[in-house]
Amino acid sequence: MRAGSKPPEAPGRGRRPAVLAGTVGLLFLFPVGYLLIRTVTLGSDFRSILVSSTTLRPLLNSLLIAGSTAALSAVIGTTLALLVARTNLPGRSVWRWALALPLVIPSFVGATAVLAAFGPGGLVEFVPRVQGFWGALAVLTLLTYPYVYLPVLARLSTTAASLEDAARLLGDTSWQAVRNVVMPQARDAIVAGTLLVFLYGLSDFGAVSLMRFDTITRVIFSSQLSDRATSLTLGLVLALIALLVAAVDRSAAARRRPVAVLGTRQVRYRLGRAKGPALGLAGVVLGLALATPLLVFAFWVVRGSSTVGVGYSGLGDSLGFLLEPTLSSAAAATLAAAAAVVVTIPVAYASVRRRSWITESAGAAVTSVFALPGLVVAISLAFWAIRAPGLLGAFYQTLPLLILGYVLHFGAQALGPAQAAITGIPSRFDEAARTLGAGARRRFLTVELPLMTPGLLAGAGLVLLSTLKELPATLILAPIGFETLATSIWSAAEDGFFAEVGVTALVLVTLSALLTWPLLIRRGLRE
Amino acid sequence: MVLGVAWALLLGGCDTGDQSITVYSGRTENLIGPLLEDFTEETGISVAVKYGSSDELALLITEEGERSPADVFISQSPGAIGFLAEADRLVPLGSSVLELVEPDFRNTGGLWVGLSGRVRVLVYNTDLVDASSLPSSIFDLTAPEFEGQVGVAPANGSFQDFVTAMRELHGDQATLAWLEALEANNAQTYVNNTAIVQAVGRGEVRFGLVNHYYNQRVRAEDPGAPSENYYFPDGDIGSLLIATAAGVLDSSDDVDLARELIGFMLGEAAQTFYSQETLEYPLASGVAASSALPALGTLNVATYDFDRLGGGLGRTKELIDASGLEAP
Repeated sequence: MRAGSKPPEAPGRGRRPAVLAGTVGLLFLFPVGYLLIRTVTLGSDFRSILVSSTTLRPLLNSLLIAGSTAALSAVIGTTLALLVARTNLPGRSVWRWALALPLVIPSFVGATAVLAAFGPGGLVEFVPRVQGFWGALAVLTLLTYPYVYLPVLARLSTTAASLEDAARLLGDTSWQAVRNVVMPQARDAIVAGTLLVFLYGLSDFGAVSLMRFDTITRVIFSSQLSDRATSLTLGLVLALIALLVAAVDRSAAARRRPVAVLGTRQVRYRLGRAKGPALGLAGVVLGLALATPLLVFAFWVVRGSSTVGVGYSGLGDSLGFLLEPTLSSAAAATLAAAAAVVVTIPVAYASVRRRSWITESAGAAVTSVFALPGLVVAISLAFWAIRAPGLLGAFYQTLPLLILGYVLHFGAQALGPAQAAITGIPSRFDEAARTLGAGARRRFLTVELPLMTPGLLAGAGLVLLSTLKELPATLILAPIGFETLATSIWSAAEDGFFAEVGVTALVLVTLSALLTWPLLIRRGLRE
Repeated sequence: MVLGVAWALLLGGCDTGDQSITVYSGRTENLIGPLLEDFTEETGISVAVKYGSSDELALLITEEGERSPADVFISQSPGAIGFLAEADRLVPLGSSVLELVEPDFRNTGGLWVGLSGRVRVLVYNTDLVDASSLPSSIFDLTAPEFEGQVGVAPANGSFQDFVTAMRELHGDQATLAWLEALEANNAQTYVNNTAIVQAVGRGEVRFGLVNHYYNQRVRAEDPGAPSENYYFPDGDIGSLLIATAAGVLDSSDDVDLARELIGFMLGEAAQTFYSQETLEYPLASGVAASSALPALGTLNVATYDFDRLGGGLGRTKELIDASGLEAP
């Protein structure tokens, strides 16, 4: 590919990235647009709904659980990423990959498993019952810390040893080097991941409802038929909170001076006496977040298939019924992950390199959708798609529309890590390439894109795992007859067939392990 | 391979040109899929089904408007289909379908019919509760001995339908008083019926208000589970029979086919499926309930004009909110 035909532009010029980012941003405004239209046509009284005592407390509860989960996940996710990427933690090639997997467990299944496992009347009776705020915090943290873990892991895999070597030459201990040199370089990735956890915490219904902690999503769901105005207005409130938080995050990011030095060799600190506690932490997290649900699933399967039930039993003689959902899940998640990364790259790039009100608005639009419950996103897209003019209307309830639904809902998961990745690339690389006469596109493709790869893969991994467990958009937007493992789990749980829930969930975790493996052993995220 | 599957799915959605009908079903595939397959086998009419929760599908249909691909809506409860009836989205079923079902189990406007029945019960923990001490009426659950021991699912459609029935039978004031007393008695709220049955099994609460078949399914997989159904006697409103229901949408491009399908689901074969496979109460064609269930006649359950259950969901929700019961 030759790129000499175009003259190199001056820095900051070239409107194309901003236009592209703005276009993507408009796409992500569909859900909020729907909510606005509906709240206006229903004539909902914003103020009386907001200050009503029946919504204020759940709203505060939502902020409380989302904030607490984000803080705890930031600590756990960052610590685990540091241990895996930068220490001599034994077995780290297995930890690296297994620690990402809890994200694939649907929160309502994870919460059901935890309730079945712990507490009086559960499988492990001697521990106190897990419920309420603390139960919701525990379950949500265990299922969402990978939002922090994966982007931070990606970032730590690209920072160079030279700065840390220098720090230690100047007399810093390992701890001081981590605190003074490594953490500042990981900061953007930590913030991006923490924001994702916060938004997920706002949108979750499965875990909080089973833990019986009352949040705004409960009001949104329980009023969706009986009081449309309240339900939709509160959806809009969630989106506005997300827009606000995203805007604060971006303006803070713009003030931070990027500190990053890229390199292929990383320092690996010796844990020494900390090896035991480090292994203990990773073991406890994975034991609670992954092993516990898996054991409960296996228990359900064994219990359900060893008894002869009355009436209809969902669990067939063979597992053949899971083949099609497994393939559908794999196809949908792979396509969604790839599409989400491709669609959000222009926004990520432009918002870091060509920052303007357009790119910031686009970024905020992408981010806001993730705070909405999946059902709201799905219904809004159905609303627009079925009214689309001409041939576009034919996309209603087709696979492309479903993928678009996933991309809209989960685009923020690809955007954050991608922004963090670009921030980490010193702009002098770009400048050097320009000096050498490379055109903008060529510079991006040959210089920056390869350096962004670990961050993009981390984002792809997050979208992949989220799509695998996604339920409401799949039920609403999928082509008729399109079944995924997540819809199979939902259907079996609705019927109370826990053996079927168990076996399907085991297949889901296995599939996610297979699909994330290539992402985590690829160059860049590799040792 | 993944892309190949995706491509096949993309192209697979094309119509074949034969007679076909689209169903939005709030019942899961396990509970209705076999019936729809039988229908196709018998009539040659292919059936495409979108599965989801009743409330969400009803919502989807209203947002789809007149372009909705759905011909038939199957609801797990009168509430969701009543929502569509109130939104003027259903067309009359015609007397040939309506008359298959007792008047109690159909809409007086002829917009929807009941398909199968579920009985509201009190599920209780057999290790912690002496069966001889069970209350004779749902109104007794507000007594001090039940404090903190009753699980309810205020956001669940069946619970809301039950409250609507209570309002019709006992009035809004008595219903609100009962809900408030339940809340004052520290009733525990759960997200759905399954969560309640499991909590009762764990002994987290001793009692729970649910539909009859949840406990049967839990016991099918876990025969040792210490939970049992109790049916309130003497026609108490606590043992109300609630119907699943079906109707034809105004957006349907083939109303006759849609009616034919609903007629089929009221036929003997389909009603036997409900009785024997899903352990619900059949509502048509003289089919008897499974021997695994107590007969309706011996239970003396509250029957009720289901038509009225379909409406008034908004008011029911207001009362539940006002009682403070919903927020855990």
